[in-house]
Amino acid sequence: MSPEFLYTIEVILNGLMAGIMYSLVALGFVLIFKASGIFNYAQGVMALFAALTLVGFQSGQIPFSHLINVMFGTEYHHWGEGMNNFLAIVLTILVMIAFAWLVEKLVLKHLVNQAPIILFMATIGLAFFMEGFGDLMWGANIKTLDVGIPSGGSFWWEDVTRTWATEGSEYYGMYIDVLDVWATGIAVALVIVLMLFSQFTKTGRALRAVADDHQAALTVGISLRTIWVIVWSIAGIVALVAGIMWGSKSGVQFSLSLIALKALPVLILGGFTSIPGAIIGGLIIGVGEKLFEFWVGPLIGGATENWFAYVLALFFLMFRPQGLFGEKIIERV
Amino acid sequence: MFYRESGDFKTSYSGDQQIFPIAFDRWVVIAFCAFAFVVVPFLINDYWEKSVLVPVLVWSLAALGLNILTGYCGQVSLGTGGFMAVGAYASYKLTTSFPEMNMFIVILLSGGVTALVGIVFGLPSLRIKGFYLAVATLASQFFLVWLFNKVPWFYNYSASGQISAPERFVFGIAISGPNSPPWATYLFCLTFVVVFALIAKNLTRGRLGRSWMAIRDMDIAAEIIGVPPLKTKLSAFAVSSFYIGISGALFFMVYLGAAEPTEAFGIEKSFLVLFMIIIGGLGSIFGSFIGAAFMILMPVLFKNIMVGGLGWPTDLVAHLIFMLIGGLIMFFLIVEPHGLAQLWRVTKEKLRLWPFPH
Amino acid sequence: MNSQIAPGETLLEVKNISLSFGGVKALQDISFDILKGEVRAIIGPNGAGKSSMLNVINGFYHPQQGEVWFDGKLRTQMKPHEVAKLGIARTFQNIALFKGMSTLDNLMTGRMIKMKTNLFWQALWKGPAEKEEQEHRERVEHIIEFLKIQSIRKTPVGRLPYGMQKRVELGRALAAESKLLLLDEPMAGMNLEEKEDMCRFVLDVNDEFGTTIALIEHDMGVVMDISDRVVVLDYGEKLADGTPDEVRKNQAVIDAYLGVSHES
Repeated sequence: MSPEFLYTIEVILNGLMAGIMYSLVALGFVLIFKASGIFNYAQGVMALFAALTLVGFQSGQIPFSHLINVMFGTEYHHWGEGMNNFLAIVLTILVMIAFAWLVEKLVLKHLVNQAPIILFMATIGLAFFMEGFGDLMWGANIKTLDVGIPSGGSFWWEDVTRTWATEGSEYYGMYIDVLDVWATGIAVALVIVLMLFSQFTKTGRALRAVADDHQAALTVGISLRTIWVIVWSIAGIVALVAGIMWGSKSGVQFSLSLIALKALPVLILGGFTSIPGAIIGGLIIGVGEKLFEFWVGPLIGGATENWFAYVLALFFLMFRPQGLFGEKIIERV
Repeated sequence: MFYRESGDFKTSYSGDQQIFPIAFDRWVVIAFCAFAFVVVPFLINDYWEKSVLVPVLVWSLAALGLNILTGYCGQVSLGTGGFMAVGAYASYKLTTSFPEMNMFIVILLSGGVTALVGIVFGLPSLRIKGFYLAVATLASQFFLVWLFNKVPWFYNYSASGQISAPERFVFGIAISGPNSPPWATYLFCLTFVVVFALIAKNLTRGRLGRSWMAIRDMDIAAEIIGVPPLKTKLSAFAVSSFYIGISGALFFMVYLGAAEPTEAFGIEKSFLVLFMIIIGGLGSIFGSFIGAAFMILMPVLFKNIMVGGLGWPTDLVAHLIFMLIGGLIMFFLIVEPHGLAQLWRVTKEKLRLWPFPH
Repeated sequence: MNSQIAPGETLLEVKNISLSFGGVKALQDISFDILKGEVRAIIGPNGAGKSSMLNVINGFYHPQQGEVWFDGKLRTQMKPHEVAKLGIARTFQNIALFKGMSTLDNLMTGRMIKMKTNLFWQALWKGPAEKEEQEHRERVEHIIEFLKIQSIRKTPVGRLPYGMQKRVELGRALAAESKLLLLDEPMAGMNLEEKEDMCRFVLDVNDEFGTTIALIEHDMGVVMDISDRVVVLDYGEKLADGTPDEVRKNQAVIDAYLGVSHES
């Protein structure tokens, strides 16, 4: 195989794995959208918040220490050595569930029956609030996150792929980050668990019923508000997984919340209501933007990843406004 | 109560169609404009110009523009920052290519260029609605900022990739560049704001405004009673982008003086303007002004109190401001989706009956 | 009403209209005509395709087969706003008012198609735009007076009670001064008194302005009283067509409404 061909394969592989990461965030969107019709812009910030909280627990930070120190002139920062990964993750999940409960209680409850676009803007407000809150609670400095997932390039894969190259060509093997492979595996596992949950548990059935028809679900005695808390909790856990993956890869920092913006075109491609759609949409965007950058990027100045996904989604929308897997909309009067 | 509208009867249609049908309102606004034009220029200093007055004026124009599109025509856009960048770069190219061109014309032409770009990015609005469209407008935001970063022609091949505003004069007085007196830049912006606020009011109370609102409230019914959807939506995109372009041009030429696209016109600017119109009031000209003033002045005020007064560190205050903004957005959407402008109207209605509310 | 067509001649004719959504056949081979100056009722059970028929007439749905002739011209594949310009106005089954706007603005929007000042004059306001605005305001005030809705002139329509909203919607359609007025269940959900008012308005519009009216209605009493001719649809097919008396006696119509045992 020629090195050019192998480079292309490398780009595609990396694109696929980046796409899985996008899908992870998009998955949280789809869950909430299906159950409540809310387009939750704050999903990305939830990932950031979850990752911040996890790091905070791991390292034994005192929440709001900065604020406390400023207000009372004290010098508290840590309360001890921190805790092990498992305990930290469990506590973070509890925090995300508490958060879901609060969101339902303080925000969603009061916005029932509002236009979708109003709800969308409310979640933008929520995103801003959480961003400030997360920074206030744990500090805004960049943190490293390590929950024991291996990372770094795979030498084995480099060696294997080097042998594929044409004899005598200068090729040094493919670079694949082990972390990405792990992320892919975890994402796949998460999707399977979610599918099993929604197919085979009572709560799952209720979730699907609500997604299908709010009114009908209410009439058979499903509590919409409980469902919302559950869904936001699940979305919080998905956000935590996404936060761990992205955080381990590039540190826990503000830019992590921007992955929400990347998830939006994924959703447009995949449709807002389809879990397989979110995954395939993510893969298309991931591969598409990496290939575009690889082939066209050098000709027009590079950094095309900033906008390619949106422009692709835009073109796509012109021809299929309901997304790849969405249902066709028939307008009525 | 001295504020009264009872007894203020209209005997002609033109009397009823005035911008401020109540005589008292009319006089207050005229007095306020007179004060802004005649008195403020004598009192203004550098701090008030740079931190308060000019930013409020510039952002009011942007908020007006977005309110026309989102508040009146119902098309949510997250591309405001990108369109402001178009206005800024258009004004930069125009002033550097034609140094003799009158500054009023430069700013207006920049608005015109932005309107054209706005029409192009508005085309998908025919097929896409609601937050699908909001996401689609992100394409314009990211693409435009990338374009101004990557194509050297736009920044005249400068080594830093930045653009900086050359010194330009109106009636022999500098209104851009480092030597421009505060009162001159303030008056320059104020003129644009007052003229275009009036135009916005005229457009929104007439045929075009009604067709925008018809599309916003029920697009299918609007089409069936004769509102052409594409033309109407594109006109909203064009007018809105025109305002936002002017705002971007003023922001760069008069306020910033030098700009780098990602920094000056990023996505957070799009959100800022969106928040202005939510807090100020969707579908209200007056609301655009209070929204802009609120979003610009609230952080300034907080910084002054907490950093200046209490001596808290800046980053901590920044986090608190973030929380406050987010909380306010949710609060307004829950309690008063029509924003401060509606609160003001309600207060007025209460005042009318005061002190005998029953 | 500067139409070339005299009273009694055909104003609108639909020929062999068929419309389907995927596999669902909403309309099958429907033909009928509407004469100028008449009140034409379209009746049928739920799901018979009545609203779909109106949607075809004003260009919102485009039928797979068939032709729509209006005012002597073929116009099957037009867009809704173009149809409105030709002179077909309409009200909706579920009220489709512009909820954020006042009664007055809703009616003024109904006159959209008659207004033509350009952007420049509108921005300036003084001059042609203001003059046009006042002319149309005057026409709208006539309609407001006719419908007796003076007191709610400046009220946002979202705050009005149901019956009033129906009336404002009629006003919006009237404001267009169309040749043909399509009313989709104008009396649905009204009490007796409101129904009587609405009947009066419909007949007055027909008498005073000479507007041709096509209406869908479920209240048979109303239909038989005010319409000149009736067309009956069932499951997307035409069952009968004729004067109220003829239709009342038609066996197919009786079967469709009262049900028929299929064993016989």
